[in-house]
Amino acid sequence: MAIADLKAATRIPPKLVTIRVKRWSPTKGKVEWREYQVETYRGMTVLEALLKVKAEKDHTLSMRYSCRMGVCGSCGMVINGVPRLACQTQIAEVASESNPVITIEPLYNHPVIRDLATDFNPFFGKHASVKPYLIRKDIEEREGPTGEYILKPEELENIYQFSLCISCGLCYSACPVAASDPEYLGPQALAQALRFIIDPRDEDPNTRIAVVDSEHGCHRCHYAATCSAVCPKAVDPAMAIQMLRSIVFRHRLGFWRKRTSKPAEKPKEWQPKKPMPPEAQTIPGVDLEQMEKEPVIVEVDGIKVEIDYKFYKIR
Amino acid sequence: MGLTDRVRQYRNLPGFLQASLNPWLIKARNNPERLAFVLHRVTGFTVLLYLFLHIIVTNTPARAGWEAWDSLMEAFGAALFNKVGEFIIAGFVIFHGMNGIRLLLTEFFGVCIGKPEKPKPPYIPPSFKACQRRLLYLVFALWPILWAIAGYIIFKG
Repeated sequence: MAIADLKAATRIPPKLVTIRVKRWSPTKGKVEWREYQVETYRGMTVLEALLKVKAEKDHTLSMRYSCRMGVCGSCGMVINGVPRLACQTQIAEVASESNPVITIEPLYNHPVIRDLATDFNPFFGKHASVKPYLIRKDIEEREGPTGEYILKPEELENIYQFSLCISCGLCYSACPVAASDPEYLGPQALAQALRFIIDPRDEDPNTRIAVVDSEHGCHRCHYAATCSAVCPKAVDPAMAIQMLRSIVFRHRLGFWRKRTSKPAEKPKEWQPKKPMPPEAQTIPGVDLEQMEKEPVIVEVDGIKVEIDYKFYKIR
Repeated sequence: MGLTDRVRQYRNLPGFLQASLNPWLIKARNNPERLAFVLHRVTGFTVLLYLFLHIIVTNTPARAGWEAWDSLMEAFGAALFNKVGEFIIAGFVIFHGMNGIRLLLTEFFGVCIGKPEKPKPPYIPPSFKACQRRLLYLVFALWPILWAIAGYIIFKG
């Protein structure tokens, strides 16, 4: 959920919250719920509370996190029934004085490794299957580019929103279709497929359309749109999948044509600046050649200062 | 441990149980599309079930002759449970049909879903501000009205 309550960090959370964590370890193979009491402070996030639990109460609590500021997308978990990034979720947002209980579970639809850490390999495999990188037909040009590929501002606006994705897996976790079909590519992979299909710098949309236009591809979506509602980074995967569908539909009918851009023209070769003629000196009476041979030393208030001849040269 | 906890315990299991539980447990904010998805699915499956029963009942003349059909109609044609069943099915069909039109527009033709934009806070996804959301509210508003009219026709007419 893109931060819904912008002023949550300014509110005072309840002094003592109860954190209920769903724990599972591969050795025990049993799910259990543990409760921890945590003292809070203003501006505390759920991740900080979990780290406090790990430091002070229970060292065996496992989770994945890295940047603590909503950039890396590692700390996705289901907090009070909604997939969110723990580092972006304020305690004051999810707990109140009347109900100071926060329920934390691992992300749905991802296999659990231990406690709150989930296995992202299948998820990243789906992301990789849509080839999320620019493909050019001219491989020599791609490997040794001579200039940048042109992207107009209005074309950037089409893909910008989808390129914000941090692969945190929240959309996949919220998707009811991914729950029933483990092979389903998922909102994240499909949004990335669209981002590269409509990117004018890319030249190979057909391979991606072939991946997406399948039983487990974009036609599986039923538009529950929870992916867009939980996305922490303002990607709109629900819209992306519908756009992808209409592209696939037009592509099958033969109406859709990809617009590609050529690489920009090679810039003119850099040439060193010509040295300035001696008559162009701004300060009269300075002989540069002489200064280069013997540095001029000036005494200012008892401190000796060497005058840099380059300074004059630049002027 | 409450009931919801017991249910949540099985969340990460793959397979049918998890698939059937997932739509009900996520409570994302600003997301009536999910409610529409759940209702669409429930109404769809119910109407499908009704269709099978309907076919079995209406081919009675072919199986057992017209006398059997007449006796069946005399026994159940004007029964209350029949009318109530018809009333429920009518409501489900109305919702499924109206939501289906909206889904056709968004999913098949790719209209009413908005355009990508540069996100600015407070961020609302463009597809949530687009015309499909208004269509959804229209569906939710029209549904009880049309259902009431259908009920009037079924019980009075």
